Amino acid sequence: MGGMDDLYREQILEHHRTPHNHGVLAEPSVSLDGRNPSCGDVITMQLVLDAAGTITDVAFSGRGCAISQASASLLTDELRGKSADEILALGTPYVMELLGVEVGPSRVHCALLGLETTQKAIERWRSR
Amino acid sequence: MSAWHRADGSLDPRKVRAAYPILATRPGGNPLHYLDSAATAQRPKQVVDAVSNFLFTANANPHRGAYALGTAATDAYEGARARVARFLNVPATELIMLGSATEALNLVARSWGRANIHRGDLIVVTEAEHHANLIPWQQVAREADADIEFIPVDDRTGEILWDRLDSLLKLRPKVVALAHVSNVLGSIAPLAEIASHVHAVGALLSVDGCQAVSNMPVSIPELGADFYAFSAHKMGGLFSGGGLWARADLLAEMAPIETGGDMIREVRLRDATFAEGTQRFEAGTPDASGTVALAAACDFLDELGRAAIHEHETRLLARVLRELPDALPDVRILGTPHAEGRAGLVSFSSDLVHAHDLATILDRRGVAIRAGHHCAMPLHEQLELSATARVSVAPYTDDDDLDALFEGLRDARAIFSR
Ligand SMILES: Cc1ncc(COP(=O)(O)O)c(C=O)c1O
Repeated sequence: MGGMDDLYREQILEHHRTPHNHGVLAEPSVSLDGRNPSCGDVITMQLVLDAAGTITDVAFSGRGCAISQASASLLTDELRGKSADEILALGTPYVMELLGVEVGPSRVHCALLGLETTQKAIERWRSR
Repeated sequence: MSAWHRADGSLDPRKVRAAYPILATRPGGNPLHYLDSAATAQRPKQVVDAVSNFLFTANANPHRGAYALGTAATDAYEGARARVARFLNVPATELIMLGSATEALNLVARSWGRANIHRGDLIVVTEAEHHANLIPWQQVAREADADIEFIPVDDRTGEILWDRLDSLLKLRPKVVALAHVSNVLGSIAPLAEIASHVHAVGALLSVDGCQAVSNMPVSIPELGADFYAFSAHKMGGLFSGGGLWARADLLAEMAPIETGGDMIREVRLRDATFAEGTQRFEAGTPDASGTVALAAACDFLDELGRAAIHEHETRLLARVLRELPDALPDVRILGTPHAEGRAGLVSFSSDLVHAHDLATILDRRGVAIRAGHHCAMPLHEQLELSATARVSVAPYTDDDDLDALFEGLRDARAIFSR
């Protein structure tokens, strides 16, 4: 059960129980629903970006497993002050580092839902 | 019968398990507790042996070669079709062999549906259907500018509210499409009664039998269906394979949706005429090995006895239903609360532990369950759930598997109640 305790260790469970930046923003620059079609997890990612393309505020809502909710929560803690370009350059290793554990292949899509939705939201904002 | 049974005639899973080599493997280093047979059943040695025997002794292109081996291949293929037909108690001339249940359900919609559903016509399906028995009808409705109405589900349990059928039938649908056994709820639809109501208004009844055929006795003529689809890989056959039984007069009228070799009578440069009967729907080289495997799977299920299988599975499901609330106090069980009236599976959710997390935690003990929407997103939407956990059982499932399941559920509860 060692690996299990890693995956579901206190920090992840804590973010799952009381996710950070959870809720809805009054005036987001962009708001996007992300869905994991294979399992049904859904997330709404809301961003406020300034004219230079830097994230100034973020919130997410949705329902899903501990991994998708905790990784979205951990991610949103890191987004403020980052530029759109910086966020678009992030990938799987970054999310794994945030989670502090290697998520198995059957759950990677859960872990990535928050980041992928954020990146699509930024693309949407750019093409506005 | 005694090879697989106890003295009292009940199925002895200890004996049955010996026929499934995979159950002795240790994927991920744990004993395998496979509780996902509703997605894909494990294959008994008998099935794989039948396929290798066919491929090593009778392999040639069926319906073609004017040589002894070609005849052997044709006989094996047609003999296998006849065996599957006997399993379902229908004539082989009415049984179309296809690549999957999805193909079978698409054939009903795209052949019969396209020819018979016109602007303003009504199609009725349940809110609980597998996507394979929903989307093909959505497509037909869109193309024909026809309507779809839904037999609703209870928004707490997901149970299909069959007493709403009659009011929908007053709208005079052309067809009612539903699952014999829901792959999420596990509940057995009261088909004979439904069929008599459906036929009373002149509609047809198209049945998705995927989750029924391997878990209970199924004799199609007693069900009152007009179409009946099933899937080989849920019966112990190979991945490729499935079929559609169609009422003879409907089958005679239906046009093929795929054309090519093996389904024709005569072909000229600018047009062609098609073969009669089931052959018209089996374009290209048929999946002879898959059909031979399916026939062997039918042999094996009949050796075990489908009534004995159903009894065995009902006992296991009763235990799951009884012990789930202890293992996960906030559990929400979908479908009927009883094991009777179910076939093969139980789905549930818990606010404490999401289905995916459950599946991951259970995997650490070698317990394989399904988590997700099980290809029934609209049903989950109605229940306001993004995912459920599904436990499904088979002739080879035993109490050790359920012990491991409940231990794993207690692990999950402990982790998430920290
Ligand atoms: C109720 C139901 N219908 C249809 C299907 C699709 O069957 P197949 O995998 O043969 O296409 C399945 C299996 O996933 C099912 O459970």
